[in-house]
Amino acid sequence: MHIPDGYLATPVWATLDVAAAPAVGYLARRAQKGLEQSSVPLLGVMGAFVFAAQMINFPVAAGTSSHLVGAALLAYALGPAAAGVVLTAILAVQALVFQDGGILALGANVINMAIAGMLAGYLPYWLLGAGRWRRQAIFLGGFLSLLTSGVLAMGELILSGVPMPGVVIRFSLGVFLVSAVLEGAITLAIMQALTAIHPELLRQPQSDGRRALGWIGVGAIILAVAGVAMASAYPDGIERLADATGIASHATTLLRTPLADYQLGTLGSAWLRKAGAGLAGISLIYGALLVGGKWLARKRGA
Amino acid sequence: MHHVVLDRWSRGESALHRRDARAKTIVVLIFLIALATAQRAFLPLSLCYLGILAATIVAAGLPLGAALKRAAVVLPFTAVFVAISLAAGEPMRAAALVGKSYLSALAVLVLVSTTPLPELLRGLERMGVPRYLLMVAQFLYRYLFVISEEAQHMRAALQTKSGTLRRALWDRGKFAAAGGALGVLFARSYAHAEGIHQAMLARGFRGHFLTLSGRSFGRADVFFVAAALVIVAGARAAVEAWI
Repeated sequence: MHIPDGYLATPVWATLDVAAAPAVGYLARRAQKGLEQSSVPLLGVMGAFVFAAQMINFPVAAGTSSHLVGAALLAYALGPAAAGVVLTAILAVQALVFQDGGILALGANVINMAIAGMLAGYLPYWLLGAGRWRRQAIFLGGFLSLLTSGVLAMGELILSGVPMPGVVIRFSLGVFLVSAVLEGAITLAIMQALTAIHPELLRQPQSDGRRALGWIGVGAIILAVAGVAMASAYPDGIERLADATGIASHATTLLRTPLADYQLGTLGSAWLRKAGAGLAGISLIYGALLVGGKWLARKRGA
Repeated sequence: MHHVVLDRWSRGESALHRRDARAKTIVVLIFLIALATAQRAFLPLSLCYLGILAATIVAAGLPLGAALKRAAVVLPFTAVFVAISLAAGEPMRAAALVGKSYLSALAVLVLVSTTPLPELLRGLERMGVPRYLLMVAQFLYRYLFVISEEAQHMRAALQTKSGTLRRALWDRGKFAAAGGALGVLFARSYAHAEGIHQAMLARGFRGHFLTLSGRSFGRADVFFVAAALVIVAGARAAVEAWI
């Protein structure tokens, strides 16, 4: 799931790099503030642990096996900010030293795995990790983190115009689902072992008054993942909807003018327009969320 | 092992090894962006860029064949998408995917095999990447081998104790055993981290690493970046004008 360089369209990787840089900066500041001074070796060694953990195979079925990915586990053990920093460091080392994942695509990989995947894994634990549903929450976290990363990566590839016929998309979604169930089960097995031998190493989740917000988050993640999956598996439906509401025509006229002389050569126009329309959609949603969030914050402050 | 070879390569003494890490990082970014945004005349351009990278590898005194082979780790991932692109009737896109992903990986490989990782991370820090993140990355890299070795021991122990005969479908006990092994590995890593921190404090750690080689961004580095910019952009402009 590490996207190499050369797959994403320029608007896609550039946007995600620009989005990832301040997010990582924020996570680093928060992690530094939230942990004691000894945190640098701890975070580094935990990153090395996730690397090494991939050597231990978990037997699955009929001789096949799977291994830990670790975003959710790190979030449970270190808290979300520190987990984001560790995962970003892992992705950077993988891209630089092991040529696993691209440099320009690093922003995309960081957003898919270290930020979105990690948060999707942390939310269920934050909500339910302390109570009766702890085991289910741990499983659900591992499941959601892997599924979110996978679906995001696939969405970015489709947005970049990498050809993906419906069969391939449905097959990949099936693979994501199976690996997500396995990640949930592996995360749960490790967490149970840790609870038995060293319970003090795990941070107990403290979900105080903001549970409602957390539930909205879980709902949003499930809706978004299902939505992206649906949209990529059945693009025709979305297109028809867009045509019917007239969004598509507006979006393309809006986008075609500034990008007009950019449509070069054989690979150009079609996919670039698609990517542009997708980006316009994303920025619209982002803007709406920003305005909504500001409004909520003001209402709370008042 | 892969990274050990890279470590040895990165401690060479060519003119490229002596350039400042920031200069090399900037040049690789220029190269990656020129490559990623290329659309017209991609085949001749990628051959041209391959030639430039090969010449750089030879000039840096690195083994060309081994470097070319090492960058090929991206190809299995690419093969899937190439097959899909070919099936979708887009051979040009398939060629672009292979060319772009392979050449990008090769360029990054040239960077890390001419720059020791601590120096590279120090350069990134001076370019504005958060120091906290880079220190975590450096620790991660340093302890990768230690923890991996421990994981290998545990895997061996797990195999001797549980036997190698696999049950046909689902073996709950083995799954839990693997979970237990990783739980123990996690706890040991945690204990390692505490020991490391105490040892560092005992040796006077003040919150950031000191490096021995104090290289600065000199006139040669400015010249190097300018020359690379001219070559990379010039090659692309020439190929696109010629086709």
